[in-house]
Amino acid sequence: MFGALLVAGIVHGLIIGLAALAVTLVFGIARFPNAAAGDTMTAGAYAGLLAHQASGSLALAGGAAVAASGAVSLLGYLLVFRPLARRPVASLLVAAIGVAFVIRAVLGLIFGHQQQVFQVPLAWPIEFMGLRIPPMDITLATVAACALAAAFGVLHLTSIGRQMRAVADDPDLARVSGIRPLRVMIALWLLAGAAAGIAGLMLGVKTVVSPEMGWEGLLTAFAAAILGGIGSPAGAVLAGLLLGIAQEVSTPYVGFTYKIALAFVVMLAVLLVRPRGLFGRMEGVR
Amino acid sequence: MEAYLVAIAIIGAIYVLLTLGLTLQYGLTGLVNFGHVGFFAIGAYASAIVSMQGVPLVASFAFAALLAALAAWPIGLVALRLRDDYFAVVTLGFGETVRLAITSEKWLTNGVQGIPGIPRTFAGLGVGLPGALATLAAITLVCVAAALALRRITRSPFGRVIEAIRDNEEALKALGKDPARFKIQVLALGAALAGIAGAFYAHYITYLSPDQFIPLVTFYVWMAMIMGGVGRVSGAVVGALLLMLFLEGTRFLRDIAPDAISGVAMASLRLGAVGLALILFTLFRPQGLVGDYTRR
Repeated sequence: MFGALLVAGIVHGLIIGLAALAVTLVFGIARFPNAAAGDTMTAGAYAGLLAHQASGSLALAGGAAVAASGAVSLLGYLLVFRPLARRPVASLLVAAIGVAFVIRAVLGLIFGHQQQVFQVPLAWPIEFMGLRIPPMDITLATVAACALAAAFGVLHLTSIGRQMRAVADDPDLARVSGIRPLRVMIALWLLAGAAAGIAGLMLGVKTVVSPEMGWEGLLTAFAAAILGGIGSPAGAVLAGLLLGIAQEVSTPYVGFTYKIALAFVVMLAVLLVRPRGLFGRMEGVR
Repeated sequence: MEAYLVAIAIIGAIYVLLTLGLTLQYGLTGLVNFGHVGFFAIGAYASAIVSMQGVPLVASFAFAALLAALAAWPIGLVALRLRDDYFAVVTLGFGETVRLAITSEKWLTNGVQGIPGIPRTFAGLGVGLPGALATLAAITLVCVAAALALRRITRSPFGRVIEAIRDNEEALKALGKDPARFKIQVLALGAALAGIAGAFYAHYITYLSPDQFIPLVTFYVWMAMIMGGVGRVSGAVVGALLLMLFLEGTRFLRDIAPDAISGVAMASLRLGAVGLALILFTLFRPQGLVGDYTRR
């Protein structure tokens, strides 16, 4: 029982980790908690669903999810967040909620509100050290691992990734050093969107696809981003795993509905006790 | 027709109360409260549950305000240590957690089945127009009192301090004021207003369930405040009325063409319209329709 919950927790945690990665990148570099991240995930899930229905290939679905979420994310930046860059953070927060609502409304209008599922073939669970692991979980975990590797590759091995981290550390210094902010921001929103897209696709395969799915996962993603330390991609992923496992393992005790509340409690505790999270920079959250 | 007008007037007045609470918190003090619906829900459920135990409505309304204000207390304690953006996330989480608690704690709230048969305000006058008119009179009175109190606050030393918190907290600290105390008071006051609004809502609708308290309600109130003009008492009233016009207008649209637009499609359209309004107002008219033009 515990082992099965642990496996479920790891897969769930990878989904949270990817969503938290999207949140923490934007929070660390564009400096506001993007409430539209959840609905960007939903966009990816629907795009993946369409591609999967058309082709039956999970790889193609992944590509579609990344493309759609990346596009939605970039569009949000260019149309809304970029013009608001010099405004107080409250404006950005309200606008992000607005973007989230618009994305969810459009998806609701196109696809309707009934829940849809990925038609994936049933397969026997694989027995491993007394644990029964569904093959789909292994596939999803691999997908997530690849996506994470790609994201970290971009962040640490490419020039644009280094520039992004430089902007995250000190925007003014980065500017003075000749880093072009627009390019960095475009790359950032594309990367964050792509991570959200994969997270949405995985969540959709694992549960059901509905217009509300992303919004419902948003709070957990925020909690993981804060627990990991804002601006720390590795922290976000680790915190996502921790939260995912904690949520699954605690479900038998606290019940299904309090899963999200658990994330809220963790978030509060972190903010009060150690506001920089596990790996965050020393920066004032207060 | 009269019954319909009275009904939207009552709901409109409930939104005026909610908007006044948010105006105090965000408009005047700069606290980004994304969990307003949580205080609204606490007030509604508190008054409903207590009144169904036989407590007179006057006392249950007071209890609703008190409980909502008390719920704001811990949030305030957290708030005074957090930056705006973190505070927004925390309050968003608070609102959702309240709804989850209402869904889960069936022994108290009857879960998703909801609480039916909540006693009406002025039940002695019957369920028809006289009772509704009396309710409207009562809530209008409360709105006027709250608006006057807010206006009074903006001209008092207390008001100057909270506006200074919004404009420059560091400078205020340098002057030897303690922003923390003021923030908690403002949160509790705004929450109490939301709690009273919730009590009116509960005893007017007479049925409560968790899905009436989704985050969208919070952003209806934000939309009202932003449309009306942030930080102005008159703006809160204008905004809430515009909001009612919008909500009822979209309902009319569906009544005229029920075949063209299904119920769920209309829900999506409404959501999209709210989102678009939030985006467009922040982008192009952050001071609202009757707001202060000298400031952005």
